[in-house]
Amino acid sequence: MESAALADLGELLGDRLQTSLETRTCYSFDATRKKFLPDAVAFPVDAEEVQRIVQLANRHRFPVVPRGAGSGFSGGSLPVRGGVVLSTERMDRILAIDGENLYAVVEPGVVTETLKEEVRKIGLFYPPDPASLKFSTLGGNIAECAGGMCAVKYGVTRDYVLALEAVLGTGELVRTGVATMKGVVGYDLTRMLVGSEGTLGVITRATLRLVPHPESFTTLLALFSGNRQAAEAVNAIVAARVTPSAMELMDRTAIDCVRSMIPVELPEGTRSALLIEVDGAEAAVGREADLLAEACRSRGALEVRRASDERGRDELWKLRRSISPALRRVAPVKMNEDIVVPRSRLADMFDFLSGLAARKKVTIVNFGHAGDGNIHVNIMIPGTDADEYRRAEEAVEEVFRAAVEMGGTISGEHGVGIVKAPFMEMEVGPMGVSVMKRLKECFDPNGILNPGKIFPEESAVRR
Amino acid sequence: MKDDELREMAGLCVKCGTCRTVCTLYPQRKAEVAVARGKVAIIEGALSGENTDMESVQEALSDCLLCGRCERACPNQVLFEEIVMKGRADLAEEVGIPAWKRILFGKVMPSDPAMRVLRKAGAAAERVLLKKVPTGSGLHYRFPEGFGGGGRTVPRLPAKGFIESLGKDEAVSGDVMLFVGCVFDHLYPGVGRAAYETMTASGSPVAVFRDAACCGLPAMVSGDRRSAMENVESNLRRLREAAPREIVFPCGSCLLMFKRNVLSLVKEGSPLRGDAVFVAERSTDYASFLLSSGVLDRLPDPPAGERAGEIGYHDPCHLSGTLGKGPQAREVLSRTVGSAFAEMAGADLCCGYGGTFNVRDYPTSARIGENKVSAAARGGTKVISTACSGCVLQMRDMAARTDPSIRVVHIAELVRQALSGAGKSSPER
Ligand SMILES: Cc1cc2nc3c(=O)[nH]c(=O)nc-3n(C[C@H](O)[C@H](O)[C@H](O)COP(=O)(O)OP(=O)(O)OC[C@H]3O[C@@H](n4cnc5c(N)ncnc54)[C@H](O)[C@@H]3O)c2cc1C
Ligand code: SF4
Ligand code: SF4
Repeated sequence: MESAALADLGELLGDRLQTSLETRTCYSFDATRKKFLPDAVAFPVDAEEVQRIVQLANRHRFPVVPRGAGSGFSGGSLPVRGGVVLSTERMDRILAIDGENLYAVVEPGVVTETLKEEVRKIGLFYPPDPASLKFSTLGGNIAECAGGMCAVKYGVTRDYVLALEAVLGTGELVRTGVATMKGVVGYDLTRMLVGSEGTLGVITRATLRLVPHPESFTTLLALFSGNRQAAEAVNAIVAARVTPSAMELMDRTAIDCVRSMIPVELPEGTRSALLIEVDGAEAAVGREADLLAEACRSRGALEVRRASDERGRDELWKLRRSISPALRRVAPVKMNEDIVVPRSRLADMFDFLSGLAARKKVTIVNFGHAGDGNIHVNIMIPGTDADEYRRAEEAVEEVFRAAVEMGGTISGEHGVGIVKAPFMEMEVGPMGVSVMKRLKECFDPNGILNPGKIFPEESAVRR
Repeated sequence: MKDDELREMAGLCVKCGTCRTVCTLYPQRKAEVAVARGKVAIIEGALSGENTDMESVQEALSDCLLCGRCERACPNQVLFEEIVMKGRADLAEEVGIPAWKRILFGKVMPSDPAMRVLRKAGAAAERVLLKKVPTGSGLHYRFPEGFGGGGRTVPRLPAKGFIESLGKDEAVSGDVMLFVGCVFDHLYPGVGRAAYETMTASGSPVAVFRDAACCGLPAMVSGDRRSAMENVESNLRRLREAAPREIVFPCGSCLLMFKRNVLSLVKEGSPLRGDAVFVAERSTDYASFLLSSGVLDRLPDPPAGERAGEIGYHDPCHLSGTLGKGPQAREVLSRTVGSAFAEMAGADLCCGYGGTFNVRDYPTSARIGENKVSAAARGGTKVISTACSGCVLQMRDMAARTDPSIRVVHIAELVRQALSGAGKSSPER
């Protein structure tokens, strides 16, 4: 980056522009563990500063990469072309919680859990719950359209974004949507920005929909002798016409991985587990939990555990929440994919995956949000062997192809970023890519915002 | 910077971000440099040769309280405290001690700066006394030049240290040994005395480790591996010789040093390793000792309903967190003061002392500490009890800054008060 650009930024932001190698190092990574050093890190405090930064970027032509908590799994916040990482950490206020009209207005840097806890205090619920909710930001959630455990009943981040304020790639400020449930005036620019991975606009404010907090919860942990039985239990549950608020599946490798860190007693022969939750009015929850347990047993569950108090539920949940980071124990490097297939194809997908693992001689750890067909497929790479790596890459491509063929998607919630850019076309087709590019032109004609992401030939690096 | 062991330890971090949620410093800095993940990345940059400015790296590593909250929350068992201490020590060896710390290190030399502290405190008679604080005592790390500045409440040095106040034949033998620690010996001898007296209430004799060197933690966290090692060696040798059945620590930080840190300083294969393991196995916290020794059975029934909920317990990071001794302290408290004890708001938040961090960045340390103390006060706590010397120092200062009516005491003082019956002697402030 040219020094004149840095000087202008410095003048604008003072010590909220940082260029030391130490700070740049701290903003060079996300949860993909890939590393690209930015030229500077900016910590704006309001929309106006964000606008001025993007205006300067247009003048001096440097990339601006929005970043929330850097917990992304697709490299979205990595400055692959250098430039400025724009951190939203200092824009972290909850501006309003409207208990009458059921919405909250937040700045992008608010941590997901913070909002959940604040609205809980007045009996309200902000449902989206990515496993990273304790540290991920709402801005990052919106930009990735984060999903979570409760998507099966409550949907994903997209379903709770009513209105947005964003700074476009031109530096202009746009307000989209309205704070009411209904609103159909013009194109749905709000949805356009949701999931846009920081490539169309920097979200500076969001109006989020809230719902009443469920009265009670019950969690069940059902243990099975194989993935197919678990997948069939998922279908049995749907057939029983109960909608759980979460339905998480862990396969044997995932279970072993967690057990190596947290002591858990499991019955002999446990090869797969379903973690199911129901919420709602107390009486209904009890009845539904009975139905769920019955459905699991009818598909051969070895054991069904159940907890309704917070501590017991937390214990059951801990298992699931610990998997993602614990995977590292299986192998130092992994390829972490989050494909989705229609629920009825889950069992087929698991069969395909175990066949693939054998064929490619790779370890594949599967877990995820089975209730909505979203499976996290982790292809483990134990060493630094080039051949191993090649086989893993081939496996990934096959997984993607199979997901698309079964009528699913190559990414349910982690986004494209740099890691899935090469496969974009496989799913959306050349015309889809072309329309998206034209839209990008319109929001960000100079290619300032988060360059090198999403689009195939633009992605500088893969994996 | 070269250190394969460090590289391996840092390599365990997957950059997931979980440590951001618990970091004591993060809310103050709101930047990734504050948290474990950022510092691991900085260390990796230094190890790979990408960053060659070791002084800046050193500076970045200094900005941490070593509270260990990140380490305990980390799903990947990244040993962050050890990483930072190791990094600091490597860098100290490579580029020397950072300027701000040199002030501290100067102090391993006799009591000149400590004298200045005294001058601030004002009492002429006390000057004579600090000369008696041995060279190498942790106190010399804790009170650097200019320590009294910035609106800080400097503890007054009492006329006599605890050990000094013991009779020649008092507390010399017994198979339980009390390691008082610098602060509870010299600065708050009342705590040392309370610990001693309550421990002896079990009926069996307690020996006080008289010529103990500093536990070595202040030197270790400062990256001064050599001084830390000197302290450790001297203590290990003498403790091995004395061969006590149990070594009891009223200070959680000293205990951490003997239970965990010595084992990372004294590596497997070192001739001292046997002594280190011997001592680590026998080291225990004050509360656990009271519970196992039957002292609490001698307590009168706590007065029912009196001052209900006014006494809280502050969890020292290492004692409750790393060593998991929170429940023991709480049991001692409920058996000692009954319903006067209640869980206090923000009990497990770090007090912000952070050893040398308090000296390095007093304003930030004070903000963290004030938040802590005022959260407790808002929750109705009037007496904050705890079991670590750094926490007592910090929270007394913070209470003075925010709400001087809050008392900060060591649990031993409450036990002694209860043992002596009616609570006539009020614990020192
Ligand atoms: C342990 C772990 C578990 C996870 N579990 C889940 C899960 O269950 N479900 C799930 O969906 N994800 C999950 N993730 C992935 C990740 O947490 C989410 O993608 C999250 O939404 C990212 O939020 P962030 O604040 O970290 O954003 P970042 O990683 O900082 O950024 C993500 C993307 O958003 C953009 N962005 C950030 N802020 C803004 C803004 N204000 N305006 C415009 N663009 C912006 C960035 O440019 C980038 O493209 C997990 C991650 C980890 C480490
Ligand atoms: S929690 Fe542990 S693994 Fe995760 S980023 Fe922090 S130090 Fe690294
Ligand atoms: S030791 Fe404490 S202050 Fe240091 S990084 Fe960890 S949590 Fe933050």
